[in-house]
Amino acid sequence: MPTAVTHFKTNIYECLEALPKPTLDQLYKEPATCLAIFRLLPPLARQFVMSLLFTQPISPVNLTQSDLRLWVKNEEEALAKFHEALEKLSKLSIMTTDSSGYIQMNSSFRERFQDCLTGGGDHQSFGVSCERPAKDKPDIAFLDKHAMKQWEEILHFMVGTESTRQPSAAVLKVVTRAKLMKEGKDKQLMITNKGFQFLLQDVNTQVWAFLIQYLDIADELLHMNVVEVLNFFFMLGSLELGMDYSVEALTPTQKQLLDDLANFGLAYRRKKGSSRYYPTRLATTLTSGNSAVVSSAVSSNTSTTTGDDGATEQGFIIVETNYKLYAYTESKLQISVLRLFCELQTRFANMVYALITRDSVRKALKHGITANQIISYLTSHAHPQMKKQIPLLPPTVVDQIRLWEMERNRLVATECHLYKEFRNQGDYEMVLRHATNLGFVIWSNAKKRMFSVTEEGHEHVRNYIKKKIAQRKTNGGGGGEAGSGIGTPNNGSPSVR
Amino acid sequence: MSIFIVQIVAMNALKDTTTVNEDDANLLVLIIDTNPLIWTKSAKSTGLSLKEALRHLLVFINAHLALKHDNEVAVIASHVGVSKFLYPIPNPPRLSENTDQAVDSNLYQRFKVVNDQVIGNMKDLFEDVSTLDSYPDKASSMIAGALTMALCYTNRIMRADEIGHIKPRILIISISPDSPYQYISIMNCIFSAQKLGIPIDVCKVHGEDTVFLKQAAHLTGGRYLKLQIPQGFLQFLMITFLPDRFTRNYQCLPGEEKVDFSASCFCHKKMIDIGYVCSVCLSIFCHPLEQCSTCRTSLMLASVSESGLKLVNGIKKLDKAKGRESGGSI
Repeated sequence: MPTAVTHFKTNIYECLEALPKPTLDQLYKEPATCLAIFRLLPPLARQFVMSLLFTQPISPVNLTQSDLRLWVKNEEEALAKFHEALEKLSKLSIMTTDSSGYIQMNSSFRERFQDCLTGGGDHQSFGVSCERPAKDKPDIAFLDKHAMKQWEEILHFMVGTESTRQPSAAVLKVVTRAKLMKEGKDKQLMITNKGFQFLLQDVNTQVWAFLIQYLDIADELLHMNVVEVLNFFFMLGSLELGMDYSVEALTPTQKQLLDDLANFGLAYRRKKGSSRYYPTRLATTLTSGNSAVVSSAVSSNTSTTTGDDGATEQGFIIVETNYKLYAYTESKLQISVLRLFCELQTRFANMVYALITRDSVRKALKHGITANQIISYLTSHAHPQMKKQIPLLPPTVVDQIRLWEMERNRLVATECHLYKEFRNQGDYEMVLRHATNLGFVIWSNAKKRMFSVTEEGHEHVRNYIKKKIAQRKTNGGGGGEAGSGIGTPNNGSPSVR
Repeated sequence: MSIFIVQIVAMNALKDTTTVNEDDANLLVLIIDTNPLIWTKSAKSTGLSLKEALRHLLVFINAHLALKHDNEVAVIASHVGVSKFLYPIPNPPRLSENTDQAVDSNLYQRFKVVNDQVIGNMKDLFEDVSTLDSYPDKASSMIAGALTMALCYTNRIMRADEIGHIKPRILIISISPDSPYQYISIMNCIFSAQKLGIPIDVCKVHGEDTVFLKQAAHLTGGRYLKLQIPQGFLQFLMITFLPDRFTRNYQCLPGEEKVDFSASCFCHKKMIDIGYVCSVCLSIFCHPLEQCSTCRTSLMLASVSESGLKLVNGIKKLDKAKGRESGGSI
């Protein structure tokens, strides 16, 4: 039976959704945050916000949901998108329906987002730059190198590459709290299957997952204000790469944050206590939402800095229909990630040659990595030459990886309650019919007069049987004649689907 | 020579057939008609001056850039006698490198770069008045030229982008009336846009409807909208012209469906409803010719007498009173 794969929150959107309304209102006080959150919305929702954003000055319009409904085509797909859009908007309390049925836009969001588009207000939400030009400004290549070095150090630590030094306390806390690593027998931190999943994600997702975990810690252990932390993340996302920004304009909390983020490689400071900081590409692409572009941009830049002539190179993996995989990389990290689901064959100066086999994929699946994760890893790291063909990955390989996963999923465990020992076929059929009509039956066998119902159905079926027994008693049909065997509920018995 | 083709009706409106994904970046090429004479008129009659309109447009551009991280924009001014790129321009002057203005902490950096350049280049355009005098048709601006530039630009961007990630569209903020002189070139632009699958949207800010641009919007699958409330310019832009090609698949957008397919003749640049069409190259003339001025085909065959010259109805109605006057009947 496959181990249950618990997905940790990688998505900033889900994290925001879980925030209470007052916190969201606080968040909407910063235009940079408004812009970043706006970009997380689905396309139709973004259009609705824009359509209604500037309606107020001309004439206050009162629109109900059915008014908005007229804006989309009367097609199934369009309507589904429409409802999704409204749901997300109301979950983030950007647009809510008031008691009289009118759609209301969050007033602070409206105001600040208007400021964001018109450049009004004096909120300094997009980073205060330094007044004096820096003496020796680090160039973008340097910043990329710094970002990659810091970030890969964390990943290397997780993979357990030798000769990596112990990362900072904040990193350790995040890693253990997120259960990416846990303490093994000899007090050494060991990577978990969640950690493996984490490694397969693209850089942008990794960074967000990390930051969200950090957010939890910041709230509980460091007693930072969630709003300030999130505002800072979103502000970083709106900054310009290669520019220097002033530390002075930050709040004390944010200054403290900056130290940790510099450790993760999201920002660069010449030395601790320096009055300026430089956001790196990891930070400025935080809110871009287009993770593939980010990771390729970062990896292309690392390859340039390592002296590779692949300045235009984005991605490095070529997969052939015969399950051979060629990875043009020297990075130990990437090779150890590949080792998770491939059999490495030969290593050359600038590339690795590996095979995708049933055993190697099953090994990965046992670690809790899913087929989809492997496929999306291969897709997002595909060589530009691969990107020209449609479909990108050979379908045979993709299908086979999925099939190998399905092999392991032949059994599905469902919690259920077993009913048995019915006295006669009539009773059995009556109860079964009732349960089937309600859709609770998972399995039944007429010969053995047994059937099992789902967890939530148990209560209904039991009550039904009790009712029947009571009815017969009052009808004078004789005591236990109904003979209901409320069989010992057999918890957790697997039923084959 | 007796085969005549109803030229314009045969051109089917192009639907957006290329698949557009949610993740695709959008390139908006904004063509602003900056004809100073007509903007002055507009300011007098409706109160919407170019300066005011530009403020609305800048917010609109910001809104477009805000929609997606990788959305791009290009702005072209269609002036009297000249068309110019306002953004992006090669080698932008580093005007703000040394000043404090390089970064405005109250404005998203990307918005600031675009806004500053558009405003700066617009100023330069208006300070240079020499072109105004040399151009014969002051009442209208170089829409055809601007459209051509827009198409060349989008073509270049689309080619550079190998994986087809960028989905372009063109929006024309039109104010001057149609110039029949530009009919042929505008038509050619429309066909190129059709071929490239680029929708052309048109927002008519002032004056009468422009027939050519209405056709442009219709044939390329774009929207044509006449601004009714000048104060609400931005709101009109936001609702009708902001949706990208992906969301348009699901939205009902305002706009006019009625299209007038009038053409202008190649010989006198007159607007005509009914005229003569060369059967070889489909050039349109307001009166019968012996030889086509475009392709030099001899149209006057012995078998075809003057009265036998068939008339082509470029539009829909044969019995239009206007039509009878200008060209007789079949």
